[in-house]
Amino acid sequence: MEILEWIRLIVGGALLLCGLIIFLIELYGVFHLKYVLNRMHAAAMGDTLGISFSLVGLMVFSGLNFTTLKMMLIVIFLWFASPVSSHLLARLEVVTNENLENHCQNYAELAELEKELNREKEDEQTGGQEA
Amino acid sequence: MSEKSAVLEMIYRNMYIAVLVILAVMLFVCLIRAVRGPRVADRIVAVNMMGTMVMVMIAVLSLLLKEGFLVDICLIYAMVSFLAVVVISMVYMGVYAERAQRRRQKYPQGHNREADRAGMQGTEPEKGESANGNS
Amino acid sequence: MSRLKPQDEYEKTGAFHFFRWLSGSKDPYLGEVELRPQKRVETPVDTILDRMDEQQMIREKVYDVSHNRKLAVFHRVYVVAAILFCIALVGILLYTVSWLPRTGNPSNPDNNIVSQRYIERGLQETGAVNIVSGMILTYRAFDTFGETNVLFIATCCVMILLMLDEAILKKLDAGSGDRHFEPKNDQILQGTAFVLCPIIFIFGIYIILNGHISPGGGFSGGAILGAGLILYASAFGFGKTRRFFDEHIYKIAKITALCMYGIIGSYFYITGANGIENHIPLGQPGHILSGGIILPIDICVGLEVACTMYAFYALFRRGGL
Repeated sequence: MEILEWIRLIVGGALLLCGLIIFLIELYGVFHLKYVLNRMHAAAMGDTLGISFSLVGLMVFSGLNFTTLKMMLIVIFLWFASPVSSHLLARLEVVTNENLENHCQNYAELAELEKELNREKEDEQTGGQEA
Repeated sequence: MSEKSAVLEMIYRNMYIAVLVILAVMLFVCLIRAVRGPRVADRIVAVNMMGTMVMVMIAVLSLLLKEGFLVDICLIYAMVSFLAVVVISMVYMGVYAERAQRRRQKYPQGHNREADRAGMQGTEPEKGESANGNS
Repeated sequence: MSRLKPQDEYEKTGAFHFFRWLSGSKDPYLGEVELRPQKRVETPVDTILDRMDEQQMIREKVYDVSHNRKLAVFHRVYVVAAILFCIALVGILLYTVSWLPRTGNPSNPDNNIVSQRYIERGLQETGAVNIVSGMILTYRAFDTFGETNVLFIATCCVMILLMLDEAILKKLDAGSGDRHFEPKNDQILQGTAFVLCPIIFIFGIYIILNGHISPGGGFSGGAILGAGLILYASAFGFGKTRRFFDEHIYKIAKITALCMYGIIGSYFYITGANGIENHIPLGQPGHILSGGIILPIDICVGLEVACTMYAFYALFRRGGL
């Protein structure tokens, strides 16, 4: 039994440490990247993965009880909510920024983008056949 | 046997406190980003990150103090921070679009006086009704 | 109308004039005094544009930090002083806190006979496992009634200040309102709200109904219910929310909750103050149907808080429920 306790400590601690490291990477990304849409990428992905790792580690610590269930609920809720908030923030940025063209390429029509992608794909295919 | 479990207890306790301290430092760094962020979206992203870290902190606290109900608070915190992002971004988008339209009515095509005169004869934006949305 | 004089003669007397003046049925100056409508001053467009330009110029000059050296220094000093002030404030507060007695010390001044009695006999007297709920909803039920009234009055004041007429609301809903500019029908947000709203509502109801067993209660559960309503309204718009929560239902819910609290509370105060036996069964501690008056009062408070939160949001955003 003692060994099981120690294994639990090690596994949970490793998961919690993973979560903390992911939070650190997220912070680095938020300070390193230059534009808010890029920063959002770091922040949203770090949020989702970091909190999942940390809470899974804490779940391992707490064992099988009601607290674990609630922590699982938090993780599931965040998996629902975090992408939606990122989507809304990206939309806010795209709507309110007047000089968006300085930061990224803007396709007003979706068909334009699809045409370009198709052209690239055809180029690749023809290139592959020739080679 | 009891000696070993006492050692485990101490390790758990110290680890929780260390995690709390690290998270607090990271929270402060996030706050710097929220203060410095040049755009509104930057600040909201930083505040959202702070919310996530606070959630982890509350979960750790609930294990440190052995009070399971703190996780409930954590769930509520997640809910409220999501709601805050939704409402703030929607309101800001609405206010921005309204201001942009008013500015377009006032200065169509970059401060051209002749065009201004044409714009002035048009409808004035109603101020009384818009006061609700900005508040 | 027992008048001796006929109507024609009565109209010539002073009494008739006096009473006519008193009731205000005739404006004495109408047609007697010459009122000329004021001449409209036409401001030329050029003047307005000049004024706007001047304002712009003044604004640019006032906030021109790069050329005005004094202003730049002032800005720097202002920022530094603000940071120093905040740090000083935090330091003073922390210093004060360090002088407070430690928590859990048996010789603390708050450790008196009142809290001792609450802790020792709370479970037996109120039937609530959660002592805090038992305290605020039975021993201190009068205070909580006051808080609920404060919520009610606050919503009434906000309604008086911000509520718009039906006609204006209809015009706003048809278009050209505030929410006209906001993005509507965001499909991703709608999908998430479709999944999350029922879960949030169920969680809120769970917290309200478990107020006497586990931490929570009317205030926190009501806040969660209100948050769910706000999420629904911001995802699907006010039109869809009005199908199940309009002004009529709002009034019914709010006033019923407050009156129920008043009735249950007064029964409890009267029996408690006069030493009469209380006929509400306490039940077995730990069950949902236990705790005497705590569960109904929790439901009332939860409804009140949920209505208040949603009403604040709707009144500030739209000007009506």
